[in-house]
Amino acid sequence: MSRTWTTPGGSDDEEARDLGLASALDFLDPASRDPGFWMRFQARVLQGAGPELARRRLMADLTVGDVLTGWARALVPTAMLAAAVAALILIRMAPAAPPATLEDLLTAGIETLTIPEALDESAAAASVAFAAERF
Amino acid sequence: MSLSGSQTPSDGELVLRARRGDERAFGLLVEKYRRGAYAVAYAVTGRQEDAEDAAQESFLVALQRLEECRSPERFAGWLMTIVRNRSRNLVRRESLRETDPVPVSASTRLPTPDLDMERSELQAALRDALGALSDVQREIVLLHDLEGWKHREIGDRLSLPSGTVRSHLHFARRALREALTGQETVEERRRSSP
Repeated sequence: MSRTWTTPGGSDDEEARDLGLASALDFLDPASRDPGFWMRFQARVLQGAGPELARRRLMADLTVGDVLTGWARALVPTAMLAAAVAALILIRMAPAAPPATLEDLLTAGIETLTIPEALDESAAAASVAFAAERF
Repeated sequence: MSLSGSQTPSDGELVLRARRGDERAFGLLVEKYRRGAYAVAYAVTGRQEDAEDAAQESFLVALQRLEECRSPERFAGWLMTIVRNRSRNLVRRESLRETDPVPVSASTRLPTPDLDMERSELQAALRDALGALSDVQREIVLLHDLEGWKHREIGDRLSLPSGTVRSHLHFARRALREALTGQETVEERRRSSP
């Protein structure tokens, strides 16, 4: 048995396949022993790729509206719940308001003498000062 | 353009369709590059079972990372990088599991019952010669002489200059031819001896 390891054209053209070598290497092709190998290979890859392809199809079908609706579906109830919890906490933490008269409410925060205080007899001496301060 | 048309869609188009979950487009990519992926995986792992696993895994990884393929027209080169990396990881895992790594030539040398001795020895000689080559030389000679890829395709897909591809191919072919010629000489001597 004698082989010539050259291309069919007879020259050792590197660009052409070396058919002798290709034939000798053919045993490395799994299909040389198992003709159904590549079909099974393909089927296994596509089977494994199924979930990812399905996910991609789903993502491709989604519109901007779908995405916003999806967000809103999760976001709105969460925001409402958070607001309710916050309100509850604020109500519980707020100090009990002391009973206040209308006058207390009107004079709250005013540090100088007010008219009712100035007109009070016990504070008559300060009335000048009051007038000086006011006018 | 419809995939059912007579014109084969480009890789770029197939990748864009596969990104949207088109099973047929992805199937065409697998069909187109399964042999090349297997050849590259075999060149790295040296075992047919590992090459099969690595090539299959690589297609699935490629699908998951399809958005990372910046140039869909150059899908093949990108895929082959994944195949090479997966195959190297597989070899690394195997070598960690086995204290004595199995060399390429010895891994599948068991004689196949349905092949005659001459063919088995020829194949063993070829495996030895392949095992002595570098990974890139093995990839190139398998892609070129087994799968029929052109120099330009190999260069593009392995990101190698064309001159480097030619040089590696020349060296690899010479080594394989020497192995085969040596094997033939042994066989001829055996036949001529009484």
